[in-house]
Amino acid sequence: MIEANTPLLRLLRTYWPLVMLSLGLLIIVAIVDSSGDVILAQTLIEGLVRIVIVAALYLFIGNSGIISFGHIGFVMIGAYATAWQTCCPYTREMFMPGLPVYLLNNSHHFVLAIFLGGLLAAVVALISGYAIMRLSGIAASIGTFALMMVFYSIYLRWSTWTSGASSVIGLPTTTTPWVGYAYAVVAIVGAFLYSRSKWGLALRSSRDDEVAAKAAGVNVFGQRLLAFVVSAFFCGMAGGLFGHFLGMLTVDSFGLGMTFITLSMLVLGGMQSLTGAVVGVVVLSFLIDILRRLENGMVSGLNLPTSSAEVFVGIVIILILMFRQSGITGNQEVYWPFKGDVSASSAMKRQS
Amino acid sequence: MDFAIQTIISALSFGSFYALGALGIGLLFSVLRLINFAHGDFITLGGYALIVPSSAVVAAALIGGFHPVLVIVIIVAFVVILALLTYFLIFQYVQNSSPATMMIVSFALGYTLQNIVVMIYGGRPKAVNLFPELTGQVQLSDGVGVQILQLVIIAVTWILLIALVLFFRRTRAGVQMRAAAEDFRMARMLGVRGKRLIALAFILSGALAGIMSLLFVTQKGVLTFEMGVPIMLFFFIATVIGGMGSLVGAVVGGYAVGIASVVLSAVLPEDIRPFRDACVFLIVIIVLLWRPQGLVLKKASQERV
Amino acid sequence: MLLSVENITVHYSRLPALRNVSVEVDEGEIVCIVGPNGAGKSTTLLSISGVLNPTSGEIIFDGQKINGMNPETVARAGISQVPEGRHVFTTLNVEENLRIGTTIRNDRAEIEKDFKRVLETFPVLAERRKQSAGKLSGGEQQMLVIGRALLTNPRIMTIDEPSLGLAPNLVDRVYETLTELRRDRGLTLLIVEQSSERALKSADRLYVLRSGEMQLEGNTADLQDGEKVRQAYFGFEEGTPQEGGVTF
Repeated sequence: MIEANTPLLRLLRTYWPLVMLSLGLLIIVAIVDSSGDVILAQTLIEGLVRIVIVAALYLFIGNSGIISFGHIGFVMIGAYATAWQTCCPYTREMFMPGLPVYLLNNSHHFVLAIFLGGLLAAVVALISGYAIMRLSGIAASIGTFALMMVFYSIYLRWSTWTSGASSVIGLPTTTTPWVGYAYAVVAIVGAFLYSRSKWGLALRSSRDDEVAAKAAGVNVFGQRLLAFVVSAFFCGMAGGLFGHFLGMLTVDSFGLGMTFITLSMLVLGGMQSLTGAVVGVVVLSFLIDILRRLENGMVSGLNLPTSSAEVFVGIVIILILMFRQSGITGNQEVYWPFKGDVSASSAMKRQS
Repeated sequence: MDFAIQTIISALSFGSFYALGALGIGLLFSVLRLINFAHGDFITLGGYALIVPSSAVVAAALIGGFHPVLVIVIIVAFVVILALLTYFLIFQYVQNSSPATMMIVSFALGYTLQNIVVMIYGGRPKAVNLFPELTGQVQLSDGVGVQILQLVIIAVTWILLIALVLFFRRTRAGVQMRAAAEDFRMARMLGVRGKRLIALAFILSGALAGIMSLLFVTQKGVLTFEMGVPIMLFFFIATVIGGMGSLVGAVVGGYAVGIASVVLSAVLPEDIRPFRDACVFLIVIIVLLWRPQGLVLKKASQERV
Repeated sequence: MLLSVENITVHYSRLPALRNVSVEVDEGEIVCIVGPNGAGKSTTLLSISGVLNPTSGEIIFDGQKINGMNPETVARAGISQVPEGRHVFTTLNVEENLRIGTTIRNDRAEIEKDFKRVLETFPVLAERRKQSAGKLSGGEQQMLVIGRALLTNPRIMTIDEPSLGLAPNLVDRVYETLTELRRDRGLTLLIVEQSSERALKSADRLYVLRSGEMQLEGNTADLQDGEKVRQAYFGFEEGTPQEGGVTF
């Protein structure tokens, strides 16, 4: 058996969940990319974008214990902010005539645009979180929900910047499977490093016992706000990726539906583990893809009625919350499979 | 003057409708700490029960074609049974979880119910003509006409409110329910049967939803699988503004939201009017920050059956 | 034996709060459990009431095993508990609070008789019948919860720290009432207190609980000098130097 006693092995063990998750995704991306199945490739890219969102959700929800219904608002903010910089140079003024002159006449590179989109989401999260992160428990959850509805209704009506109820069409479709993979890994690394940091630890202490954490000197409000802002940043970037995956944006797609599906993925995998976030996205995306194919009669002899996939997702989430709230992963990370120093490996398991 | 009377009646009828919805949510929240996001979908399902299950474009009346009394009884019974089933099959197993977890469960339930409707009835809107005689106008005085239905909604609401007040003040079960809402564990230690009481709350909440199905479908004249969602959001706002867990608060919140939305549409300056919904949700956040009391869990009431 | 708790162990998640604790209460007795903060006194009462479930051991009430039953069933079997912190329903008025106590009964005529009797025993409640229970003073609330528990017509009443937060003269009044209730109606009482002084005065038998384990049990008549109780309470060894004038 390998003993974790050389510096290199120690390092590997510390970052083992990261290694496993990135490798696992790499294999999936490679297989799908070489299979040439177009529909599967679409599912894959969408899944990778969702990994960014769900990893960000884990970063906030898993560590703070506050269930947020509002993060899709940040996805939307990032998506539109990116579109302002990259969309359709010739028709941008037609879709979004209210943009400032600089944005009407200049386009940014995709990577910069996505980064700035994430930044805008983070700034909005900082301002709104400054109010909402003072709340705890269900009041905080309701607050994030109301926040999402505020963003949603503003973007729906703010037609000179967002095209309102109609779509913005003509974003370059730059989110390929490999681009999606790169961002998914970035989000996973970000969420992992945050959770391991002293801030992540402080926030988890408040999740387990808010009063005790406060008594131990943890600034619960500050820590929550930090996690809220960081996770909003990743959500914003995911929004940019999403727009450049579909090639178009509608406010309507950033509503309760997306909120529900991403939360479901996190719940399915296990809310308090990063591995759970990734596993939840992979498993649910895969199942939905299969069910969609069955609905469309792509497999002979089996023809499911429309909406089967949705009904299935709804029932699975209800059952998971009824009988196994810790999700598929039981809120654990992928752990070091080799024998070694027990205290270190149990610390890893509990690290979630 | 005529315009004012019409606006007032319209505001009152909106308010009454929201008050009933907020009560349905408040009832469950008070004893169970459950914010039931499927409440709007209970209303939807009550509406769909009126017509023949098929994905045909033209809806054929099923229960909707019966004698009016029968229509009311069957639809209310249907929604009550639906609500009870969700308790015994689902919510009973998660009632000791955090309120936020229960909220996700109710989200999932609502999502499932909507898609079951799509599965059975198809996704397209269906026209339904329920109680057409109620959609006519009645002349109050010279030139002041109001829709009969609006008056019916107000009247039905007040009858139900009085009935509920009598229930909570005068009956044993009602007093027990108030006690359980405040301190569930203590109530049980005095012999109040927890499960039965929660089931009763689901029955009442379901009955309110059933009655609202009829009122809503009569007014809308059309069924869509998502029609429960926007009204649910308003009920939800009303319950939060009223201070969750207080039933009087729910009624006040319902009227506040109903009246505010009618008045705001009438008086808000042209360029802000589109952002009315955003303003309303902003008010929710302000209320949460200002007085989250209604939402704070009392320690003793955490333990459920 | 009316109630016997036999070797129960209770865990809060993984931590044991009680280890092999046994308590017996006979018909008509007043039994006191005393012990410092965190000794497991409330845990014992909550286990009897079915709020907590022992991981091992049994609780037998009137020949019937009651551990594992839910709180309402235990209440219906005839055990009424007044938990720590009083727990009046503040949104209900005084009369409604008392009426909740009659939830488990259907004998209307008897209920009305008992209702009158409770109001006679606690005249202050009769005066404030229609007032919100939240507006009562601490002592009045204590009367209210005792009255409410009485109305369940219990065979045994368990009370968690009836003296908590009350002025000394009110504590006297509460204990006077409790001993009267025993004398007049043969009520069996199991009382939890922090102060052993009070217990030695009012109870027939006494248990001392510390750190989740039973340290001592005996008739109060044999323990009046207080020395043994003090040792059990604080865990002093025989011969350990003690500070003078320890009051507890």
